[in-house]
Amino acid sequence: MSRRARIGAVGVAVLAMAALDGGRADVQAQAVALTGGLVYPISSEPVAGGTVLFVDGRIAAVGVDVDIPAGAEVVDVTGSVVMPGIIDAMSYYGIAGEDMNEVPSPLTPELRIIEAFAPFGTFGSGEAGEIRVRELLSGGVTATYIGPGDATVVGGQGAVVKTAGARFDDLIVREPAAIDITLGGRPASTYREQSRSPSTRMAVVAQLRDLLVRAQEWLAGSESGSGDEGAAGGAAAAPRNLGMEALARMLRGEIPARVQANATRDIRVAIELAEEFGFELVIDAGAGAHQMRDELADRGIPVVLGPISHPYISGEEIPDPGDYGGVDERNAVWLNEAGVHISLASFSRGFGRFGPGVAGQWLLIDASIARGHGMSEADVLRAVTLSPAEVLGVADRLGSLEVGKDADVVVFDGDPLSIRTWATQVYVGGRLVYEREN
Amino acid sequence: MRFTICNVGLTFGAVVAASGAAPAPAAPQATPVALVGARIHTAAGPAIENGTIVFADGVITALGAGVAPPVGADVVDLSGMVVMPGMLDNHSHIGADSRDLNEFPVRFGPQHRIRDVLSPDDEFWKGAVKGGVTTVITGPGSGEVSSGQAIVIKTWGESIDERVVKERGGLKIAMGRKRPDQSPTTSMAVTAMLRAKFIEAQEYQARWDAWEEGGQEGPAPPRDLAMEAVVRVLTGEDRIRAHVHQAHDILAIIRLSQEFDFSLAIHHSTEAYKVADDIAEAAIDVIGMPLFTRIALADEVMATGTLMNEKGVRFTFHTDDPVVGSKWQRGNAGLGMRYGMSEQDALEAVTINPAAIAGVEDRVGSLEVGKDADIVVLNGTWYEVSTLVTRVYVNGMVAYDREGEGS
Repeated sequence: MSRRARIGAVGVAVLAMAALDGGRADVQAQAVALTGGLVYPISSEPVAGGTVLFVDGRIAAVGVDVDIPAGAEVVDVTGSVVMPGIIDAMSYYGIAGEDMNEVPSPLTPELRIIEAFAPFGTFGSGEAGEIRVRELLSGGVTATYIGPGDATVVGGQGAVVKTAGARFDDLIVREPAAIDITLGGRPASTYREQSRSPSTRMAVVAQLRDLLVRAQEWLAGSESGSGDEGAAGGAAAAPRNLGMEALARMLRGEIPARVQANATRDIRVAIELAEEFGFELVIDAGAGAHQMRDELADRGIPVVLGPISHPYISGEEIPDPGDYGGVDERNAVWLNEAGVHISLASFSRGFGRFGPGVAGQWLLIDASIARGHGMSEADVLRAVTLSPAEVLGVADRLGSLEVGKDADVVVFDGDPLSIRTWATQVYVGGRLVYEREN
Repeated sequence: MRFTICNVGLTFGAVVAASGAAPAPAAPQATPVALVGARIHTAAGPAIENGTIVFADGVITALGAGVAPPVGADVVDLSGMVVMPGMLDNHSHIGADSRDLNEFPVRFGPQHRIRDVLSPDDEFWKGAVKGGVTTVITGPGSGEVSSGQAIVIKTWGESIDERVVKERGGLKIAMGRKRPDQSPTTSMAVTAMLRAKFIEAQEYQARWDAWEEGGQEGPAPPRDLAMEAVVRVLTGEDRIRAHVHQAHDILAIIRLSQEFDFSLAIHHSTEAYKVADDIAEAAIDVIGMPLFTRIALADEVMATGTLMNEKGVRFTFHTDDPVVGSKWQRGNAGLGMRYGMSEQDALEAVTINPAAIAGVEDRVGSLEVGKDADIVVLNGTWYEVSTLVTRVYVNGMVAYDREGEGS
């Protein structure tokens, strides 16, 4: 009897976990002051006994001498740590497994992940579990990049989303935010299993290069008179091509290419293509990136690293030692020392799923391993906040506690790099979306 | 210097050489070794500050705060460091090629032995050694109703045979739904097959008993290696390690254990929290989910260890390597504490409890006089993953030393 009651209670908890909690826009108008905490603005030195004030969903003041407006809700967080929300620079949060990869076509730049993003799940589908955000919020994660899976070569367009918000549109921070591309053994193995091309690394690169050439040609054509102005002048407008339009954004430098590459040979190809076609490159996963750290640093190429405890190897659960001999837990530390811009990411497949990445909620704990290997606390915390905000192109809104930025704020009950520390309050857009009683 | 790393990394063999795993010497040193000055978590009692551990010939000979190193001992100053027992991992798949773990076409294969596919190559074991996991119960997979026999083995040593701590590491069965292409596919059919197999084993044994009692007259009954493995479970020489996630399957395997009177440990135990009282009443052992980072689990699952300790159930974590890397067994304990376990309970959950569940607590699982000198040295709080394992002793020999690692 008690057993049944307990099961029932768990079920109710699951249903209450949707990211969207209905329109409560009025809450945003409220001013909130978190007082007395050890504040890590990330963009500047920590402030002991500081106040973080936010009004209308944005940071209004950070410091020790903050005038708290009358009527503000004052929350004493003495003894706690106050930080910007954790940003997971790569996850598949809210994406059903079958929606991750459009396998029949290896090159699909026209696809948009936002159209598969289901933060509210589908009731009764058995998939509702994966959209639970309570666990994600308990680890302080307030935003993540989501993108198509890595089974094909060009997966499509990724987006930056928040983990909580009053309405669907409030969740979207930037879209499209990048083009997702995968090099290495994973896409080749997808098509090798089907006896189709591209079934080798060579063919993966050749098809990608050919696509980029088409995009260059398309871009040149669209800029030489057959665009809007040309149409006004009477010439026939070029037929629209959504995939080419997406790649044109990349070639014009409006959005970067996120190229998943682990082995040095794949990273080298990514760099060569970026030079050849002049796009902005971000290396994803980068299990072997430390082997090329000086080159990455010299060229200013940022790396979004897979988890430290379990490096993300292109969808393969077990690294093939022949391919990835350079896997080392000190990857992040070495890259950071060399001056490479790094972000740490979970590559999580969402709640209840075993995947090659780690669960997003443990991103900070995983990052603490880098602290053990000698990375400074400041650098570790930056790699899960401001650095991902920069690489995702959302640093104007997210990633640090600075006046004018979104009030995405986490209160931790202790050392943020301890395995025993909890997020006790999480604010997104100034709204309290998670609270834990200790 | 960085160029060196680049070159080393491209040659896998060179990485192995630089990994810090020490080659296995021929025999434990006879000269006593004394580790002095560390905070010692023995897992057999409260932590000892500024303690000393002495070992010789691979066995702990003295331990305590007031112990003086014997004359002639190699004294190792560990001031400021932390020492804990070599950890155990009660459910692992290391030591074998992953393609050798599941004989899918054979739905019931208790005759299969993990021992026959274990590799002595360092590459298969070094992750565990570096993480301070010195003994594992490694076994076949979970795709079949029974995939075979596990073994209790140390993660480092001279040869596979010498590393075996206990041959009988449990007979693996897997409850719950299976692949749809071959019967049994439903939980019902899996349980029914198991019941039929246990009955078959009873009958098999009865034929042998009758032949023995009849003065071994006439030809002996034909041997059946599968049935012999099941009979060992029925006679108590081995026990069942049951892969089980759902509550109804936990109840089903408990029913079978009572019906056929065998010793049972449940593995993964995802929904154990839903049937905690049934588990406590049945007095079975619970091997809980790997908590550290790979799978996002509900809070109730994360807190399984806390609940089992409250109910008086013997509990341990496992890594299920490759699900979670062996070296993060400490992270499981840390997350167990995050979800309410006491430090001592969390420590026992990765040391003495898995040793007792494996039936090898007389040799490993705690730091006590007379036990194997399997010792982990760390540079800080043992349960934080930001703390590094700096040295590992197995049988009193240095199996891993962080100072030997390339940078």
